[in-house]
Amino acid sequence: MSETTLPETAAVSIRQLSKSFDGVEVLRDVNLEVAKGEVVTILGSSGSGKSTLLRCINWLEQPDRGSIHIAGQRIGVDDAGRPMPVKTLARVRARTGMVFQSFNLWPHLNVLHNVTEAPIHVLGKSKREAEEHARALLEKVGMSHKADAYPNTLSGGQKQRVAIARALAMQPEVMLFDEPTSALDPELVGEVLAVIKDLSAEGYTMVIVTHEMAFARAVSDQVVFLEKGLIIERADPETFFTNASTERVRKFLERES
Amino acid sequence: MNTSAWHMLLEGAWTTVWISGVSIAIGVVAGLLIALIRLARIPIVDQLLVLYVSLARATPLVTLTLFIFLSAPTFGINLNRNVTGILALTLNTTAFNAEIWRSAFRNFSREQREAAMAVGMTPWITFRRIMLPQLVVTSLPGLVNEMSFLIKGSPAIAVIGIVDLTRVTNRISAVTYEPLPPILAACALYMLAIGCLVWLQRLAERRANRLAV
Amino acid sequence: MTNWQILWDARDQFWSGFLSTMEIFGLSISAAFLIGCVMLFMLEGTRPRLALPLRIFIDGMRMLPFLMLAYVLYYGLPTFGIRLNAWWAGVGALAVYHGCYFAEIFRGSRLTFPPGQIEAAKAHGFTKGKMFLRLILPQIVMQTRPLIGNQLIYALKDTAFLVIITVRELTAAANNLSGTYFIPTEAFIVVIGFYWAVSIVMEIIIKQCGRFSAKRGFDHV
Repeated sequence: MSETTLPETAAVSIRQLSKSFDGVEVLRDVNLEVAKGEVVTILGSSGSGKSTLLRCINWLEQPDRGSIHIAGQRIGVDDAGRPMPVKTLARVRARTGMVFQSFNLWPHLNVLHNVTEAPIHVLGKSKREAEEHARALLEKVGMSHKADAYPNTLSGGQKQRVAIARALAMQPEVMLFDEPTSALDPELVGEVLAVIKDLSAEGYTMVIVTHEMAFARAVSDQVVFLEKGLIIERADPETFFTNASTERVRKFLERES
Repeated sequence: MNTSAWHMLLEGAWTTVWISGVSIAIGVVAGLLIALIRLARIPIVDQLLVLYVSLARATPLVTLTLFIFLSAPTFGINLNRNVTGILALTLNTTAFNAEIWRSAFRNFSREQREAAMAVGMTPWITFRRIMLPQLVVTSLPGLVNEMSFLIKGSPAIAVIGIVDLTRVTNRISAVTYEPLPPILAACALYMLAIGCLVWLQRLAERRANRLAV
Repeated sequence: MTNWQILWDARDQFWSGFLSTMEIFGLSISAAFLIGCVMLFMLEGTRPRLALPLRIFIDGMRMLPFLMLAYVLYYGLPTFGIRLNAWWAGVGALAVYHGCYFAEIFRGSRLTFPPGQIEAAKAHGFTKGKMFLRLILPQIVMQTRPLIGNQLIYALKDTAFLVIITVRELTAAANNLSGTYFIPTEAFIVVIGFYWAVSIVMEIIIKQCGRFSAKRGFDHV
């Protein structure tokens, strides 16, 4: 079976992924490999399918065809091709961390407990261990002073940094960022991007959907351009931003800059 | 009103309070269960529950209480008055509570559920740790409001001879020949109880709003 | 004879109980609506003198079980030499009690009434009464339609309480029939069916009114 011969280094491996909503194809035969430690940015105009692609990686959307492996383990479907039992699916999902456009913090828990909730109740860590780790992560994202605050008292940028700490707390194989700065006021974008940049420097594996071109250029190892559900360009950032091979990408970059 | 009249009145008040209290406790939990079953959309069961909720909301409490009290023995079931009263109040309040819980479920943020799934929570952990604590807070104002409606409906149990805070006024005036004082005193006690619930409801609303933002 | 046949033979009693309930309901709810409107009007203006006592009265009623008010009117008023029979005490209690609920519903909606409309009406020389009757009240009634519908169902259910002060209405009819023929289950199923049917009809009517006001752009159906 081809599934068993994956290169061991791939943190995420997407094969022949297709997905349609109500008969409209949003992803068409997408193939993508994300190596361990690699940062991949997915660009594309709105409606190009980039968020759907990201949400398929942790099975928040179920693709119609194709396969996705997280660090060698297939997600969503077992070896016999049947849908995974919910518990198994949850375990595989736990190996990915996701940061949402609208933060999606849990408002009934304070910042610290937002971060420790899953380590304690999913990974079964002790409260002390989880809190120690959480405090270290909050320190990393510059939010340790708000550990006792509740989400609704924070600014958007602060919320997003907590959400990043929450995802990191699961020690995921890959971090998925779904337009992490699109819901932020312009003056708050920088603080969030700075945190993500730090993570890339530390060698985290990341897949990022974004509209921030300068950021994508600075942080990526690989840039992928999605158009109507097809990957029409993939390149290292230098080539992508200065010497794209397709006309469509050049037009897109012109408009965005 | 003399001491023994006050004593009787307070006994009546206690009857109202404990019968209402038991019905509220059962009704809140049973309402949650029905809301959960309805979310599962099991055919036939779902239609039956829709029918139950619709009937329970349209049936006057007095009629329901009499119905249970008079009808149960014909099926060979012997219920004492208090159990009948609790059953009637519970059947009524459960239907309303089920709707309150259900609307809280339906309005629960899909994004928050996704965030729970994304960190690997199973549906059960998501329900227990993320949804339920918030659903309690958002449903509480509605539930407390329904509690005051239940107290306001509780005199219905007087129809089968339970000596509650309403009926006890008849007992007292049968002795004193002055109906107005016990009635006014009972009114004051009802207002006190419902006033407390209204105040609680306001507190609950404030907490719920803090969660919403 | 089956139990259902016995009930069929006693249909006149059901029918008169039903008519009696509808009569009580119709009369008291119309009066309650008027009381609600009058109370709303008395709360109009910048500093109405009656506002405080009226608000206390309304809030007090809303903290009271309906039956207690019926008790006050039926058992309590004779102390002051006012003797109402059970029927009138019941209708009066229903009217005052639900009138207060209507007033509260209207008041809630009045708080969000656009002040610009009132300024426009004043600029056009409307008097206070005309403005209330032609401008404020119709809009508030249309806006609070779903709440009014709810209140109607509560009022219908409250009519059954009157059996306790010996008013002969629908629930009393079921009670009497089940006492006479020992068929409580069937008798009460029929009566609950009546209440249910009336509630559903009222809900449908309220929905139809919804279409009417949606056409005038008041809200979305």
